[in-house]
Amino acid sequence: MIKIRSACRYLFLIIASLISVFPLIWMAISATNTSVDVVAGRMIPGTYLVQNFKNLLASQDVAGAMINSFKYSVTLTILSLIVCSLAGYGFEIFHDRGKDTVMSILLLAMMVPFASTMIPLFQMFSKAQLLNTTMGFILPTISTPFLIMLFRQSARSFPHDIIEAARIDGLSEVGIFFRMFFPTMRSTYAAAMTITFMNAWNSYLWPKVIMQDNASITMPMLVANLKEGYVTDYGMLMLAVLMCTIPTIIIFFLLQKSFAEGITGAVK
Amino acid sequence: MKKKVMVLLLTAAMVVSAIGCGSKAADTTAPAAEAPAADAAEAPAADDAAADTAAAGGDNTLTVWCWDPAFNIYAMQEAEKVYQKTNPDFKLNIVETPWEDIQTKLTTAASSGDLSSMPDIMLMQDNAFQKNVISFPDAFTDLTASGIDYSQFGASKVAYSVVDGKNYGVPFDNGAVIACYRTDVLEEAGFTAADFTDITWSDYIAKGKEVLAKTGKPLLSCQAGESDVIMMMLQSAGSSLFDAEGNPSMVDNAVLKEVMQTYAELVQSGVLIEVNDWDQYVGSITNSTVAGTINGCWIMASIQTAADQSGKWAITDMPKLDKASGATNYSNNGGSSWAVTSNCKNTDLAFDFLAKTFAGSVEFYETILPSSGALATYLPAADSTVYAEPQEFFGGEPVFAQITEFAGKIPTNNTGVYYYEARDAVAVAITNVVAGADIDAELKTAEDTVNFAMGK
Repeated sequence: MIKIRSACRYLFLIIASLISVFPLIWMAISATNTSVDVVAGRMIPGTYLVQNFKNLLASQDVAGAMINSFKYSVTLTILSLIVCSLAGYGFEIFHDRGKDTVMSILLLAMMVPFASTMIPLFQMFSKAQLLNTTMGFILPTISTPFLIMLFRQSARSFPHDIIEAARIDGLSEVGIFFRMFFPTMRSTYAAAMTITFMNAWNSYLWPKVIMQDNASITMPMLVANLKEGYVTDYGMLMLAVLMCTIPTIIIFFLLQKSFAEGITGAVK
Repeated sequence: MKKKVMVLLLTAAMVVSAIGCGSKAADTTAPAAEAPAADAAEAPAADDAAADTAAAGGDNTLTVWCWDPAFNIYAMQEAEKVYQKTNPDFKLNIVETPWEDIQTKLTTAASSGDLSSMPDIMLMQDNAFQKNVISFPDAFTDLTASGIDYSQFGASKVAYSVVDGKNYGVPFDNGAVIACYRTDVLEEAGFTAADFTDITWSDYIAKGKEVLAKTGKPLLSCQAGESDVIMMMLQSAGSSLFDAEGNPSMVDNAVLKEVMQTYAELVQSGVLIEVNDWDQYVGSITNSTVAGTINGCWIMASIQTAADQSGKWAITDMPKLDKASGATNYSNNGGSSWAVTSNCKNTDLAFDFLAKTFAGSVEFYETILPSSGALATYLPAADSTVYAEPQEFFGGEPVFAQITEFAGKIPTNNTGVYYYEARDAVAVAITNVVAGADIDAELKTAEDTVNFAMGK
């Protein structure tokens, strides 16, 4: 009876994982086929990978877009982690009623869709001469209510006794944050890093609005360029999508373990 | 205790601001000091900015937004070369921007009232041209007195970019409708492409049924839930979804009703098969699922990706409606035109550039045709020898000259601000009609939907 039950469970899991992995596999296979084969639904890896790659390099500045994407995403991730973890830590450790109110306002801000703040933001950034700059890309999302909340939640499980002990031993507040909180919360940082990096890497609307020249395009913008036109080269498009996906896959797999821990709570 | 909390708060605030400053300073100095790659990537941006300000001061550079490297961007690059012959210092800064993004950027900039980030020239879909000019009148430059000779273009094409009698666009990309047929399949059923030239839709359905019975292949495929075929039929009789005042006219529109009936008959007879998306549509043509298609002439590029079908295709005009009074065999689907923005500081240069290339050079159109298939709506180009060259793929016929000739005979279509909303409403209606709903009731719902969108 137990055997049948676990067999059913495995069968279900196998089918579910096949369904979720299928688009990725198909993307990888299509990247090696010609456009006509992709449209015809060919499921066997082909020999057209090198040609697709050459075509892609000839039509788009892939290296430039990769460098830009990395530059924007890495800078945003680092700055965002510093700002949000300090804020989350502050909200929880130096806790009082006023800060609770501020936190609720921040959480309310989470519900405002970006599209509705885009036009005033664009106006501000255009006046401040921040179009086409890394700062322009980063500033609107450098601090997000979600990350602050994530750090605040994990700071809640950080034992206050240790802080008191450290203060008695003469460690400064900055020291407590960097030498005690930071190492303990490593898995929360990993989770936050995964989320921020992926969001930054995949972001499209805002960069599209403020990045106005060819030299500052990102990978998602490059992929969008390929789909436009009377004839779409699907093999080339799939290769570009694959290249755009790989960095986020690597980051996710490297930090997968800490990611799960960080979301469920860092301190054991 | 209170004092302590205060001190802590202040320290926290200081740490935050110190780190904020530190990282900002690091960020601004890093590219110059330690990251030459990043520096190099930022350098062109600075160049562009310099070029933009220079353009404002009367320099010879124009910034252009458009999409598709194989087509529009290529055409612009060639236009730059043609213009450089008489103006050697002239330079174009072409920024590749997909159409949806041009629309987003235009909407953002125009709504915020800050048009300084706009380029000098941008490409605009014809269907959205009037909507954008009416919604953002401050963003465009009137081209009526720019010296461009509009009589050299097809009247229906020019009409897409006219608002209140003023011209706002220079026509470019041709969307003249063509009917394409697989001659090998037709032959199997005992027909030639000539049997499908200058015919009516009832002939088309009758012959289509025969082809289907003998070869098992439908004549036509299209995307379910899209109104492209409907709109092509409608425009071929000079009718539109709006009247001259811009009010929706669907309920008592006899032509639209005939179009809906014809479409439903096409589907029910099996002569037209509906597919789910664009990729499947292209697949049905290149995989020989269907024996033909009817679409804007730009569909030729997709047909030609199936290299093994070379010589097996023929091109002719589309069928016309049986009853409608103004019925013709010509229509339009898609296409785009160049707009000059109000941010263009050197309008004289922009006007002169467009007048001497897109609106004045047969030689230019001859250059771009062979490698891009970019067909002109510039009528004098139809007489050129390059346009008259036989095309191997399409049975050795001079199809380009033929299509440019079609383009001159297309009845005008009135798009207006709510064109896309109306198209969508009609698409819903036709889906229901095909499923058996009553045409009059569906048209009433469609008109109500559009009226609601218009706030009436």
